[in-house]
Amino acid sequence: MQPVAIVGIDCRFPGAPDPAAYWDLLMRSGDGVGPVPEQRWNADDFYSAAGADGHSNTTSGGFITDADAFDHEFFAISPREAAAMDPQQRLLLQCAWRAVEDTGVAPRSLAGTATGVFVGVMGNEWAHLHLTDYARVTAQVGSGNGYCMTANRISYHLDLKGPSLAVDTACSSSLVAVHLACNALLAGECDTAIAAGVNVALTPALGIFYTQAGLSAPDGRCKPFSSDANGIGRGEGVGAVVLRRLEDAIADGQPVYAVIRGTAVNQDGRSNGLTAPNRWSQQEVLTAAYRRAGVEPSDVAFTEGHGTGTVLGDMIEVKALGGLHADRTGKPMALGSVKGNLGHTEGAAGVAGLIKVALSLHHRVVPTSRFAARENPALKLSRYGLRLLKAPLRLAAGATVGGLSSFGMGGTNAHAVLESAPAHAARPKAGAAAGSTGIGTAVFTLTAPTAQALRRNLVAQADALQRHRVVPAGAVGWSSNRLKTGHRFRFAVPADSTGDLVTALRRAAGDEDQPAGLTAESAGPVRPALLFTGQGSQYPGMAAGLYRDAPLFRRFLDRADEALLPHTGGSVRELLLSADPAVHRTGWAQPALFAVGYALAATLTELGVRPALLLGHSVGEYAAAVVAEALPLEEAARLIAARGRLMQELPEGGGMLAVRADATELAERVDAEPLVGIAAVNGPASTVLSGDLTALARIEEELTRAGVRSRRLEVSHAFHSPLMDPMLERFAAVAEQAGGTVPALPVHSTLRGRLLRDEPMDAAYWVEHVRAPVLFADAARQLLDEAPTHLLEIGPRPVLAPMTRRLLTAPDGAGVRSVHPVPGEQAGGRELAEAVAELFRGGVDIAWDAVYADQDRVAHRLAPYAFSDDHRFWARRPVSAAPPATAPQQEGVQTAGQRPEAARPVVLSQGRRTAADPVAEAVLDAVAQVGSYAPGAITPRSRLYEDLGFDSVMVMELKKRIEERLPDLEPLSVEELLPRLSSIGDLIGYVGERRSAAA
Amino acid sequence: MQSPPDRDPAQVYLASVGTALPGDPVDNATLAKVLKVNEEWIDHFIGTRTRHFARDLGTGTVRWSLADLCAQAGARALAASGVDPAEIGFVVLGTATPDNLMPATVNHIADQLGLDQVPTYQLQSGCAGAVQALGLGRTLIAGDGHRAGLVIGGDVCSKHLDLNRDLADAAPSDLVNYVLFGDGAGAAVLTAEPAAEAVALRRVLNRFTGLGREPGQVIDWFGLADRYEDRQAVREDYKAIEEFVPVMAVEILWEMLGDLDWSAEELDYLLPPQLSGRMTRRIHEELDVPGAIEVSCVADTGNNGNALPFLQLERLLGQMSSGQKALAVAVESSKWIKAGFALEKI
Repeated sequence: MQPVAIVGIDCRFPGAPDPAAYWDLLMRSGDGVGPVPEQRWNADDFYSAAGADGHSNTTSGGFITDADAFDHEFFAISPREAAAMDPQQRLLLQCAWRAVEDTGVAPRSLAGTATGVFVGVMGNEWAHLHLTDYARVTAQVGSGNGYCMTANRISYHLDLKGPSLAVDTACSSSLVAVHLACNALLAGECDTAIAAGVNVALTPALGIFYTQAGLSAPDGRCKPFSSDANGIGRGEGVGAVVLRRLEDAIADGQPVYAVIRGTAVNQDGRSNGLTAPNRWSQQEVLTAAYRRAGVEPSDVAFTEGHGTGTVLGDMIEVKALGGLHADRTGKPMALGSVKGNLGHTEGAAGVAGLIKVALSLHHRVVPTSRFAARENPALKLSRYGLRLLKAPLRLAAGATVGGLSSFGMGGTNAHAVLESAPAHAARPKAGAAAGSTGIGTAVFTLTAPTAQALRRNLVAQADALQRHRVVPAGAVGWSSNRLKTGHRFRFAVPADSTGDLVTALRRAAGDEDQPAGLTAESAGPVRPALLFTGQGSQYPGMAAGLYRDAPLFRRFLDRADEALLPHTGGSVRELLLSADPAVHRTGWAQPALFAVGYALAATLTELGVRPALLLGHSVGEYAAAVVAEALPLEEAARLIAARGRLMQELPEGGGMLAVRADATELAERVDAEPLVGIAAVNGPASTVLSGDLTALARIEEELTRAGVRSRRLEVSHAFHSPLMDPMLERFAAVAEQAGGTVPALPVHSTLRGRLLRDEPMDAAYWVEHVRAPVLFADAARQLLDEAPTHLLEIGPRPVLAPMTRRLLTAPDGAGVRSVHPVPGEQAGGRELAEAVAELFRGGVDIAWDAVYADQDRVAHRLAPYAFSDDHRFWARRPVSAAPPATAPQQEGVQTAGQRPEAARPVVLSQGRRTAADPVAEAVLDAVAQVGSYAPGAITPRSRLYEDLGFDSVMVMELKKRIEERLPDLEPLSVEELLPRLSSIGDLIGYVGERRSAAA
Repeated sequence: MQSPPDRDPAQVYLASVGTALPGDPVDNATLAKVLKVNEEWIDHFIGTRTRHFARDLGTGTVRWSLADLCAQAGARALAASGVDPAEIGFVVLGTATPDNLMPATVNHIADQLGLDQVPTYQLQSGCAGAVQALGLGRTLIAGDGHRAGLVIGGDVCSKHLDLNRDLADAAPSDLVNYVLFGDGAGAAVLTAEPAAEAVALRRVLNRFTGLGREPGQVIDWFGLADRYEDRQAVREDYKAIEEFVPVMAVEILWEMLGDLDWSAEELDYLLPPQLSGRMTRRIHEELDVPGAIEVSCVADTGNNGNALPFLQLERLLGQMSSGQKALAVAVESSKWIKAGFALEKI
């Protein structure tokens, strides 16, 4: 058989709410057995030490905690439907989600794929309690019941389209489910399979049966292979593993816990009684599994036995194993069973054993088998080539093989052979060598459906990462980006080390304001505007920190440098890295700003930003033109280098004056001075004049007298003024060669003061651009009319984003975010990471692979989603020794016995309802009634399907309830109603229309 | 002097080195400002340019424990070695400044690295501890049959960096304790077969030579009963150190060359003892092996005790090529311990 990899695990067993706790319980030989919780049944009512008729000889067993908790909101299931679900379905759903997350794959990314679901289950106690109360059999109760629904519900909620089936072979159910899952993978029926098992005890029935059959241990504990073994103790549990063909797992870089080498299933046939175990059939299934795995018995280092701890069962199992291992050479095979810790988890027993074996191979140590120290001498283990795991067995380096048995009471036997994962199975494929990636700092992201869920999950991540502080932040960040996606609330924070990240997560989770600062609720589609900063923003060493930290930026700055080099006569890159003050000279300033602008824009594009709008302030338009594909990089480089050089060659003596006045107010004064022009109109009271110094001085003096503030700019030349005229001809000659076309993206031109429409950015444009004023305010205002969501400063310091914001009229301002990839002179990778985090929070789909260098893109297992345990649901009818109760029962959400404080009304939204309108009132009440939501929990903004989990059956009932409440209403038409159900508000509107039409 | 055991154990290899220095380097200007001491004095008499501290100089809060630094170094060494963590058969730590007396810090390191069910050892020692750890690691592989193991050295000296003390009138011998030391950790993966860097660990020397001699350096510890006694936590006899360490270093060099049957001319690299920038320069001159390239780090890292040999090793591995030989000399002046090791790249 081709090997199958176990790539994801999740579980909840007695005394162990998750896989880490399960492993801990096993390694310290812990005990998960305790008294029957009050919530299940009154154990005293059914107790008889002697095992009298209708009684059990024990009041103990292995019970899981929080069997009643279910995060129905997460799965958009109404409280009514959740309350009408077998808890086994609810537990499986959460468990399957977490197991998929454990593989490093976002569960939603499996939607629509042929992923299979195979669930082992034998308990159907919920049906005994609910489907016998005929008066209360509703549509929800129907789908809340049934084996098929355990698997089908996982397929439904995760939108998985591969085979989906539940398996009942009694106690071997979940290992048989694993067998079927492996076969389906190997047959190509699916590429990923979820194999699971579940068992929740809702009634004492099986305990009574075990007692009456003489199989029940009085202390409620299985004591496998022990001289104290005296029967079975019942246990609960839910476990899921995610399986892939090993080659696929390796190719996708998924970490592998262990490998399934071979599985086999057979039957006792007509043996010594229907429920009696059969030694020869067991030996046969072992042989078949070994054969399928291609191993000899002596290759098997240890076996997780079925080990129920009945004297006969243990004896037969040992003889069957002995039939294959008695003559093995070397060390006897180590034998144990997890049932000593948990009890017999029945439908979940196979998956409990599988997870134990997988974790043993993963951690390279097999835990002690509880109660093994007092070995049953009658088993004559050493004669059969066996020994009990009386102490943990440390596995030698290299490949190790372990076995796993699970036998059903009706005679269906299953065995699996597992092997340790091949060394470095998890090494991902080397990424396509498209060029350097990475920005020098990782970004950790997390999403959740509500703010509260976000906070809970921040804590869960901090707790888990606390123990993995040595893991590089890159692996943690990259894994979080891939895994923790898709929910409405987006959290992002840069992280230099995992230790620092833990601190940041705790601070964010603990502080009321912090998560808000690092979190945003995703809104509609994003429209980023790239604003390319112009001359004056340059400084020595600009962007050098980013060049040092971020290989991705380095790649593009190098490219720009290469394009400029033939025209600048020196390296712009070296100029920047050496922090040369010459960057202030026009000949250098212009190409240097161009290089930084181009490299920043290319970096952000590579990071996933899709520029929707472009604007460049004067010189900034050159890089904008490259991004807009109006000019190729090489031609833009040639042009900007010539522009800077020719301006540099002009005699000095010109100057520029920034005036706090409107351009129109200055027109008269400018007209009076032939050597002065308006260079830039930056805002309503922000104009720059440019020209001859003496002429400027005259204007300055007049303005001061008039009480208008003005300020000289430190420039070598009078840009955008008549003093530029002498260079125009020579520049035009260069520009003619450079070409230039119509931009492919919307460019809001600061030459035209508006959006360019089918106008080429060609020689004529660039020549005019030298001399004409910069109409920034007009261009930026028009850009704001296009409703950008982000203003990205593409330059070495914040200039244009704040200037643009000042042009915002108050109401639209709030939604626009300013992002500064290079916020200041010391900025480097950390600051770019902050910008990436901000973009992600604002809804940009970041291309995360570009954020990390090749060697950092390594999978790290993150803690899976932490579900809410605020809402609890349990069986409607209490189990008692008396005949079925007829007392009225409360429907819907029930309070858990052991945790009454946790129960609270289900509240979906804090939004206030509008109570004045009787139609709204009636609709809201009807929705609450049909969904069993708490009164006041529903608002007009709630969405019927997505938020409230309604289905077509519930819609029909809703129609009826609304009609009952509004007797003056004509019966509603289903055809008309269906399209009006997008939100409750929509529904209210529709009903209101109908009512006024009737009036 | 008793000669070392004749029988050379089976060959053991160094696969990789990883190091961890806490936070940003602290330069003399910053240190001088915080401690209110003269920057020029540090430059001239100590000769150490920068060091790293696990404690935040501004707030005094501890940002990294010794275990944190060692685990970080260990994780880096493991990643660089390509060795499957499951093959790591043991962990050895050499340190003079454990986080607690119990549990031994090495166990916290194993915990952070996710290593379980492995033998761990912690060697209480000054600068020789790292060499002792290499020696024990070598023995565990050669003698006990382990395929690979993790050997770590590290110290957090800033535990004694009392930021509240007024040093304006402190004597140079007192002051030196404040400016000499730093924090850090280093780790190496040793293997039975050549892997990754594939450098053979040819010899390890570890010898107590302090019979009847006063310690050159004492680091005290205090318990509930004696915590208020007026004793200095760190004491050094700098005169004795200046006098004897160079002499011992020269002896170690020649003894190891003799045992290895190597000539001084064959040596490509020399890793001298790392006391301070100034002392190391002096000792290196006295060792006088002009043909060998000096590999030192203390001027940049400060004296961070048992991290030093690993920091030197990291610099060495970056330049060592096949067939080249290197020899490291270390002296622990506490009770006058001679230490050293010899490497040859396969």
